[in-house]
Amino acid sequence: MEHEPLDDFERELKLTLERRPAPPSLKRRVIERREQRRHPQTTMIWMRLAAALLIVALLGGGLRWGLQRQEERRQGEAARRQVMIALRITGHALNQVNSRLTAHNRGGE
Amino acid sequence: MANDWEPDLERLLDEHQSMVFSLALRMTGDRGLAEEIAQDVFLELDRQTGKIRSPEHARFWLRQVTMNRSTDALRRRKVRGMDLWVELEDGHAVHAEDRVSPVGTRLENLLATLPEPQRAALILRYQEDMLPDEIAATLDAPVATVKSNLQRGLKLLRAKATSNLREFIRGA
Repeated sequence: MEHEPLDDFERELKLTLERRPAPPSLKRRVIERREQRRHPQTTMIWMRLAAALLIVALLGGGLRWGLQRQEERRQGEAARRQVMIALRITGHALNQVNSRLTAHNRGGE
Repeated sequence: MANDWEPDLERLLDEHQSMVFSLALRMTGDRGLAEEIAQDVFLELDRQTGKIRSPEHARFWLRQVTMNRSTDALRRRKVRGMDLWVELEDGHAVHAEDRVSPVGTRLENLLATLPEPQRAALILRYQEDMLPDEIAATLDAPVATVKSNLQRGLKLLRAKATSNLREFIRGA
């Protein structure tokens, strides 16, 4: 397939449609954007690492808080048991005192 | 040897930035948008360098992707309800240093009023000096359609020029 000869109008159109020079900044901007596109890849790695560290820190903090609460609950339970034992001993002693007093009162009558 | 050829973005930019920018500018009529499209096209080329086999393939690829991106940009603008060519008519889209002659500017503005497929065919034919079968391959359209668009576009442009430009009355 070959070009057919151009008439005057087509020649004028061809002259009008000559390539325009690209803006002088075009090349620089493309190169800059290419560099920016490459740079975020390392930034992304750091961001992912930071996110992973944050998650680990949150999990560690949560675990520690949970263990602390468990320990506090255990200590509270032990204290409650000790109080119950003390109350039981006291109750037993009072019952004995009460029995003796009752026996003493009966002897007196 | 074409097989030994390796695409180099900076060299391709030097060789083809004018072509890519001019295609985008004439398709969209907007310098800012044309520069944005040109940047995107070259960055896409940089991503696709493994698929580019030869300098001819790079030129073909750049033309094809530029035309596609320009068409997409025009459609996006239509969806947003913006009239691109109002800018051209107002003379904001064409820089003063680009104006070769008042007749040329007027003719370029008339070209901008043609339907998009006819405009695309005429730009590739007269800016890039391409044959209908090459245009068909670039636009991924049948050769018969391209020939029809070229004929109709040229006829319509000639008619518009005849009624708008006295300079062409004698030649028409």
